[in-house]
Amino acid sequence: MNYEWNVSIDKAILNNAPNVNKILEENPYIKETAKELRSKKLEVLGNIDFYIDKTEESVKRSGGHFHFAKDSSDAMEIVREIVKNNKNIVLSKSNVLYEIKLREELSKLGKDVWETDLGEYLVQINNDMPSHLIAPAIHLSKEKISKLLNKNLDKSINENTSVEDMVKAVRKFLMEKYLASEVGITGANAISADTGSVLLIENEGNIRMDTVLPGIHIAITGIDKIVPTLKDAFNEVIVQASYAGFYPPTYINVTSGPSATGDIELQKVSPATGPREFHLIVIDNGRKEAINSDLRESLLCIRCGRCYFSCPAYKYYGKDFGDSPYTGPTGIMWSAVTAKKYDKSLLCMHSGGCKEVCPMDINIPEIIEKIKFRETG
Amino acid sequence: MDNKTLNRILKMKNMIFDNLMESYLPFPIDKKYYSSWTDKLPRDGDTVIYTSYMYQISGILKKYEKLFPKISNVNVPKRLMGLSKFLIKPGESEIKRSFSIMNNIVNILQKNHINFGYLYDDEPYSGAILLESGFLKEFMEYGNKLNDFFKSRGIKRIITLDPHTTNALKRLKTMINFDIDVKNYIELINFNGSGEYVIHDSCLYSRAMDMYGLIRDKINKSGIKIDEDYLTTSKDMGTCCGGPLSLISVNDSDEIARLRSEKLLKINNNVLVMCPLCYQNLSPHVENIKDLAEVIS
Ligand code: SF4
Repeated sequence: MNYEWNVSIDKAILNNAPNVNKILEENPYIKETAKELRSKKLEVLGNIDFYIDKTEESVKRSGGHFHFAKDSSDAMEIVREIVKNNKNIVLSKSNVLYEIKLREELSKLGKDVWETDLGEYLVQINNDMPSHLIAPAIHLSKEKISKLLNKNLDKSINENTSVEDMVKAVRKFLMEKYLASEVGITGANAISADTGSVLLIENEGNIRMDTVLPGIHIAITGIDKIVPTLKDAFNEVIVQASYAGFYPPTYINVTSGPSATGDIELQKVSPATGPREFHLIVIDNGRKEAINSDLRESLLCIRCGRCYFSCPAYKYYGKDFGDSPYTGPTGIMWSAVTAKKYDKSLLCMHSGGCKEVCPMDINIPEIIEKIKFRETG
Repeated sequence: MDNKTLNRILKMKNMIFDNLMESYLPFPIDKKYYSSWTDKLPRDGDTVIYTSYMYQISGILKKYEKLFPKISNVNVPKRLMGLSKFLIKPGESEIKRSFSIMNNIVNILQKNHINFGYLYDDEPYSGAILLESGFLKEFMEYGNKLNDFFKSRGIKRIITLDPHTTNALKRLKTMINFDIDVKNYIELINFNGSGEYVIHDSCLYSRAMDMYGLIRDKINKSGIKIDEDYLTTSKDMGTCCGGPLSLISVNDSDEIARLRSEKLLKINNNVLVMCPLCYQNLSPHVENIKDLAEVIS
């Protein structure tokens, strides 16, 4: 047992679980919204090709470019074509970007690529992988972070430096990267098929920068993020933020096509201040196959990260329970869906707390039982 | 997961499954001895109490789990497994304790006017270990055999004593044509008790079978006082004793039990469990640990 991890996870649980409960008690509409969202997502899973086509039409209507990638290499091929010779790239936290090994691949091409979410930035300079869907650096202590920043960013930072000053130093560094960036690559928390909009939720403000400052914005996400309408997409981000313990979220970003203005004689001109190009890449990578199997409900997951803290295997093994970035109870499902990796499921004890807290009411233990069967059947 | 572990698990699966299909037991045990806890119940009946040997053998399961890697390494012929060193016996006090738990449950059920028989040494094992390890195909195949067996004995209702057996039979209902009524003894009884405890819930009772509320209600009404803490004992946040992991890693299973015990002991020194496997896993770390069926009447 790693003592440092034990302390970190206990602190994270103490900070998160009671807070989520309070949010849900004070805002009873969220549980209702989650129920409605579940039925909307099931509707999409039952008609996935229709909703992919509808999303494509909507993205094109708003002046954006739509791409469908069947797997990771397909997605990277599309990204390379869009990025071309542009060198300076900023990223916002996204598990799908890890899934397709985007940062690694772009770095190989000699691009200057930076994670802009603080936790992801720390994971990047530690040559590490995230330990939690929405809190990627919870395995790193303040002391460890001060050493990392001292080595990689600012020699004046040490273990006595305040957290505020550490954040300030990273902000200063990243600001230069935002201003120099030519391409911003993000994931998506939800996509609305009726408007082709990408919704992204955050507290740091980095996604705002990533989606507005560079001339090109690329959003890459799984087909599971598609919901029928813009209202459903707002519902998804609110439910996700609430179950992650952030309510109200500081920022909800909506992107529907490239920037535009109609201020001169109401003639629509693009670009205006923001990006001149908007690309949405939706990736299959095993998802359609899962929809047609007994793993279908895995794809209802909105990646709120709530299930991790009710899971004895995650509490004990940390990111070794799963294959990073897909760790924890949901990670067992996502590794099975996207990488056909089943072995870590054997560490699941079927404690069942994951199912109790999941806003999408996914019977995670029963799905993991089926994944175990794929490993040992 | 390394290949060695996976191979061991697969060998274990085959061994357990073959044993079950041949003898209704996962590994050789002395059925006469383990069914000698009572001689007062009628043999058979359309309602039977069903131990699945769980209370009786829980104390030796760990020893078997440690033995499994050795057995699978040397490929011990099945006929030899019934002999000498492979036939592990629990300690005298352990077996006495399990016999008295089962007798107490019988007394309380009878006080609640419930009549039933017992299959004695004809009793088969439930197959729970197959289900919990993800050996679904084998579980269903054995489930069919089990179903035929119960039917051939004219059994219409089964009263279970532990969460693993209850869960296995209830899941069979959703997987094959198993239509025998299954009730856990806690569902059927009202009882009295005293003392103050922190509950370590069985994951299967409280979450998989959604009995958390029912169990809390019954215990609260019994006179037993329960100390709760959201992060440790709630339905959302309470976690496993680590028991099911012992097939993969006995060490990790023990360590999880130790960590779980630490959390429970911060709430109360007296820990109450409802499962023989939870008891086995937590008892090395908790001095004052009792099964519900030891403290109620
Ligand atoms: S499985 Fe449920 S609780 Fe876990 S991350 Fe997904 S939506 Fe959240």
